[in-house]
This record gives sequence, C-alpha cells and structure tokens, in this order.
Amino acid sequence: MRSGLESSELARFESVVLPHLDAAYTLARYLTRNVHDAEDVVQDACLRALKYFESFRGEEETSARAWLLTIVRNTAYSAGRGQRGQDATEFDETQHSGAVADEHPEAALLRADARESIGRALERLAPEFREVIVLRELEGLSYKEISDVTGVPVGTVMSRLSRARARLQEALT
Amino acid sequence: MTHPSFEAQVDAYLDGELAAVDARDLEEHLAQCPECTRFRDERLTLRSAIVAGIPKFLAPASLQQSVHAAARSSARRRFSVRNLWRPLALAASLAVVALGSWTLALQRSAGEALAGEVLASHIRSLMPGHLTDVLSSDQHTVKPWFNGRLDFSPAVYDFAGRGYPLLGGRLDYIDGRPVAVLVYGRRQHVINVFVWPVARGPSGGGKGEPKTRDHQGYHLLHWMSPDYTYWVVSDLGVAELRDFAHMLQQADSTATVTLPG
Repeated sequence: MRSGLESSELARFESVVLPHLDAAYTLARYLTRNVHDAEDVVQDACLRALKYFESFRGEEETSARAWLLTIVRNTAYSAGRGQRGQDATEFDETQHSGAVADEHPEAALLRADARESIGRALERLAPEFREVIVLRELEGLSYKEISDVTGVPVGTVMSRLSRARARLQEALT
Repeated sequence: MTHPSFEAQVDAYLDGELAAVDARDLEEHLAQCPECTRFRDERLTLRSAIVAGIPKFLAPASLQQSVHAAARSSARRRFSVRNLWRPLALAASLAVVALGSWTLALQRSAGEALAGEVLASHIRSLMPGHLTDVLSSDQHTVKPWFNGRLDFSPAVYDFAGRGYPLLGGRLDYIDGRPVAVLVYGRRQHVINVFVWPVARGPSGGGKGEPKTRDHQGYHLLHWMSPDYTYWVVSDLGVAELRDFAHMLQQADSTATVTLPG
C-alpha cells in the first residue's frame, strides 16, 4: 500500500481540493454549529480526502467541491458532531466573508435584525433541512450535486429545500 | 391557494432547476394567478434575506496551514527531502503561502464587494417590475434609450437567432455610479449584463478571459474589453453562460466602440 501522494498528485490535490476549503469550513460550521468542531471536521475530512484522492478523477471544479463536501458531511455525521444540539456558538464577526464585512454600515445596521433572526432560524432547522439550504444557497450546488452529497434522490432534495424555505419564511414573518 | 408540491415547483423554477416545459406552464399560471405570484415574490424576498443574512465563513489561517502541511508531509514521506532542509523548506513554503493568500485576499475582497453588489442588483431585478426600464427586443430601440441617460453608449446586440433574445435594458447603480444593464433571456433564465467604461470605475480586477464566480447558486462572469468592464450574472448553467459571454466578446471585439468625448 502506498504511503503518500506523488508530487504531481500533491499539486493536483492543492489545485483541485484546497480552493474549496472555505466551502468545506462553511458547511462544517453550519453542520456542527461550533467553531472548534468545524475545524476538526474539516481537518479530518481533508485527511480522508488525501487518502482517497487517487481514486478521485473528477475534472470539473464543481464536482471537486461536491466531492469534498460529501466527505465533510460524512465526517461531521460519523463523528456525531453534526447532531450535537444545544451548544450553538455566537457569531464570530472576524470570520465573516468579505462580501458581508464590506457592506456599508447603514445597510448593515438595517439588516442586522433580519440577519439575526434568519441566522437563528437556520440553526434551529433539523440537520437534513439545514444542510440543503447551506448546500444550495451558500455553496451554490445544483439539485443533482446536492443529491450526490446527501445521498437522497433529486425529488427529495427538491421537497426538502422547499420545506426548509417555508420554515425560514415563517421565521421571518 | 398554494400547495406544497406547487411550492416546490416554484422553488425549483427560481433555482433554474425546472424543465423548460414545466417552467413555461408555471409562467402561464403565474401570469394569471395573483396569489401564486405573491408566493413567488415572497420567495424572492426570502432569497435576498438569505443572501444578506446567512454568512459564508472563511477557513481560519491555522486550518489552511495544517491542511497544507498535512498534504505536503503526505507527499514528502514518499519523496523525502533531507531532514536538515525540511524545517527551512516548510517555513519558506508557509511564508510564501501566507504572503500569497494575503495579497489574494486583498484583491479578492475588492472583487467580492463588487460581485456582491452586482449580484444584489441581479436579484433585485428579478422582482416584478424591476427587470427593465426599456422593454424592447430591438437593439436599435435599446441603444438610443441609454443616450442622454448615461455619458457613455454601450454597444447593444441581439442574439435571438442564437437563442439568447434581448429583452431590454435598464439603468442601475454599482458602486455609486450609473451603469448600463442589458437584459437577455435564455429559456426561463434571465441574464443581466452590466457594462461600464473601464476608465471610470472599479472593475473587480480581471482581464481577457471571463473569470467565473459562484454565489448562492448564481454564476457571475467578469472580464474587461479595452473600453468596457463587463459583469454577466445568471442562474443559467455555467457552460451556457460562458458561450453567451464569448458571443458578447466576439461581437464587442468586431465593433468599433467610440466613447463620446
């Protein structure tokens, strides 16, 4: 059995998988609802990804993202960390993406209320609803890719996504 | 009244995941049912709320470093570097990675802010009555419409013959300045093309070949011609959107563009 990657494989790993580290971390954050667990999950997931990388032959960038997110999701659930309930952490402003951080202060103030409640509504959703929202709205995956990541049929993805949105909508009104 | 399976259809429609035939049926229904139209509008509002209110996170630097290090040590185990050089090489590569990601992050945040604005404008345009100021598939109507409203005159093309009909145009504001937006259709998808002169505004830092970003299920393509900065946004599949961008680039490069003095 081989003990590591060839250097050409390392280059391929770094160019194919590592660009999706933020996406991996974002999914882990919403699945674990905990900063430290999220880091552990992504780290474990990347080690697994390294191990199985030679068997990964996807060429499209999006399929690399779906592949990594599948591993992140399975790692989170197999460690039982995706299910952990009540220890939701507060927002960490320093780790918000640039798009949010660069907002004008007035707009940010106006939106603060809505943000807090929709953020909390998302955290309260059951994991199977929370993950489809994150995969679709934040990671931009297609229904087919979400189906691959979560291991449920496309039709189930469609109905879960719709029910998840209905619940978020209730929380906003 | 709305029904769960109908709601899922509208969601799939807004996600660009509904088959063209179903999408056409749905549009016909929406055109005559105010209640369902209201449901769709609520979902558009929800979508903006999600975009604005649910942040993506950046992987902490410590996590990036440990993953890089794990990948490298996995490779190094096979092609071993001399022990003596190892710490030095690691320190050097970490420094390069840190410096590289720092400059990248700077460029990225300027580009991201602009991309965020363009995307917000795109989403706003999808709400009823916001898509076009001038509704015309005739490029000879749309182009003069911009005269007098902007101090530049963007080239306007119709690609109806190739499946991307011109739907109209509107004025929008990006980074505090008026810009031209050309609206195209592709099946049930809307494509917004944002154009402004290169010299006038921030461009998001890309040249030549379109650069692609993905945000919340939308694709953003960005490039610069010698005269204009282009941003193209849609929920259309990225392959088709690239085809469209190339058409636009070709048309643009064969036209002689003059900026009014």
